[in-house]
Amino acid sequence: MKRMCMAPVVVLVMLLTFVMAPLHANAAEEKVLNLFSWSEYFPQAALDMFEKETGIKVVYTTYESNEAMFAKLKMLEGKGYDIVVPSTYFVALMREQGLLSKIDRSKITNFGNLDAKVLGGPFDPTNDYSIPYMWGSTGMMVNSKHVDPATITSWKDLMRPEFKGKVLLSSDLRDTIGIALKALGYSVNSRSEAEIKAAYEFLKELKPSVLVFNVESTKQAFIGEEVVIGMSWNGDAVIAMQENPDLKFIYPKEGLPLWLDSLSIPVGAEHKDNAHKFIDFTLRPDIAKMIVEEFLYSTPNTAGWQLLPDELKNNNAVSPTDKDLAGSEFTNSVGDAKAIYEKYWEMLKTN
Amino acid sequence: MIKRASQAYLWLIYSFLYIPILVVMVYSFNNARFATDWRGFTWSWYGKLFANTQLMDAALNTLMVATLAATFASALGTLAALVLHRYRFPGRKVLHGSIFVLTVSPDIVMGIAMLMFFIAAKIELGFLTLLIAHITLCLPFVAVTVLARLAEFDENIIEAAKDLGATESRAFRHIILPMIMPAVAAGWLLSFTLSMDDVLISFFVTGPTFEILPLKIYSMVRLGVKPDINALSAVMFTLTVVLVLAAHALTRTRRK
Repeated sequence: MKRMCMAPVVVLVMLLTFVMAPLHANAAEEKVLNLFSWSEYFPQAALDMFEKETGIKVVYTTYESNEAMFAKLKMLEGKGYDIVVPSTYFVALMREQGLLSKIDRSKITNFGNLDAKVLGGPFDPTNDYSIPYMWGSTGMMVNSKHVDPATITSWKDLMRPEFKGKVLLSSDLRDTIGIALKALGYSVNSRSEAEIKAAYEFLKELKPSVLVFNVESTKQAFIGEEVVIGMSWNGDAVIAMQENPDLKFIYPKEGLPLWLDSLSIPVGAEHKDNAHKFIDFTLRPDIAKMIVEEFLYSTPNTAGWQLLPDELKNNNAVSPTDKDLAGSEFTNSVGDAKAIYEKYWEMLKTN
Repeated sequence: MIKRASQAYLWLIYSFLYIPILVVMVYSFNNARFATDWRGFTWSWYGKLFANTQLMDAALNTLMVATLAATFASALGTLAALVLHRYRFPGRKVLHGSIFVLTVSPDIVMGIAMLMFFIAAKIELGFLTLLIAHITLCLPFVAVTVLARLAEFDENIIEAAKDLGATESRAFRHIILPMIMPAVAAGWLLSFTLSMDDVLISFFVTGPTFEILPLKIYSMVRLGVKPDINALSAVMFTLTVVLVLAAHALTRTRRK
């Protein structure tokens, strides 16, 4: 029996030496960038180009939510990764927790390409810790075969009796309560229990019309015409409209919830120079153009937007005007009020 | 009548299990990016899949970790089960019970605990930490499976072998091992599956240099899962079927 036990141990030790060696080689070389993000969140062609131009190898690993990324980075004390992509208020949270490293603006030569509209958000007023990468909105999509899109102007139109059983709402708590708050004229970041409760009442009244609460496969539901009207992310809407030309994307007049994903450098990053080079690279107009063409969300990069084909420039789901976005707000942290949101969300889902 | 009903029931169960997989396989040939209706036959998703080096790397990493983790877990788990079943020593009951506790302990607790352990032990996160974590995850399942088999085991057979002059190690190789082999094989397959689709533990214990498939697919939620994943699922499923059939054929010829 003793002899049997030894075999795995020997193999394990051999593996150990085999695995540790290349890791140390990497650290000495320094031509590496450890990118931590959602899957396929950067065009592969752009990553290849970056590797070719700088000789820096991009090592790409993934997370599925801001919460998961935050938890892991917190435990690692900000070490191991060189670039992360936190959404709006996670920038604030990570900054407060001392997890982000200050970005050296002198190394970001393309900073001037950015649109002032997405800079200086409440989560990072001076953009010392985050550089906008991609942003988007949660608007409304309708099928023009079943309803004249011109008659749909408000979130309240979801209530119309002819949409009974044909409405899609997002399963994202902040998005869905957010549009209800907007419909009633409140802020998407409201901390008032009375306002959140009113939003809940609005959604409760709407609930009999709702076919499904979903966020992962909204495109399919709209393309397959299972639903006639509902919430949609603008990038999803562009893809859906290409597949099914009857679909139209609408910016309700009360405004809508916006999101912004930014590039940040964790405080313990080992390749900070490479990280600055990468951020500067993504801000180049040609790269910004590639990003929009691949993902069809909005770019924070004015110079990159100029390069887009007219078809995308004139598509208001990709390129919203200031009028489209009147009254819209970035979803920000609501602090302790998060519990109130969760309470009413539970009530909505279970009643 | 009852026979027919039970057959119908069996078919129902199998359809329930296999239809979703078949749907994924059919969609991997659908010439549409997001539509749910059929828009013609195409191989293009397979082309895209094999051109997607990041995805292929992750898939190969996953297969490698799953194979190694299942093999180590089977060896260690079987030994653990043998010790717990055959020898009497202080603390045995506690150890026996704690194996079962591990099979039901939540993944998230295990993931965070292991990450804290690796940080404290200053082990660089990556392939090795992932492998150790997966072995730990799978080991109790193998032990439990083998223990169940050992419980039905007639100890007199070993006594008989020893009476006939077999040493402990010969008795192990010629009597015990062949008799518990089905349980070890089942434990290996179970471990392979557990390792292949673990997301929670893997997320915490893998490092910036080692990516695996479940994490990659899971984190596509932001922009939506692409159809080349359907193609990958089809390839993996076909591979599994081939492996199972091969294993089946091998055991049959050996028996003859």
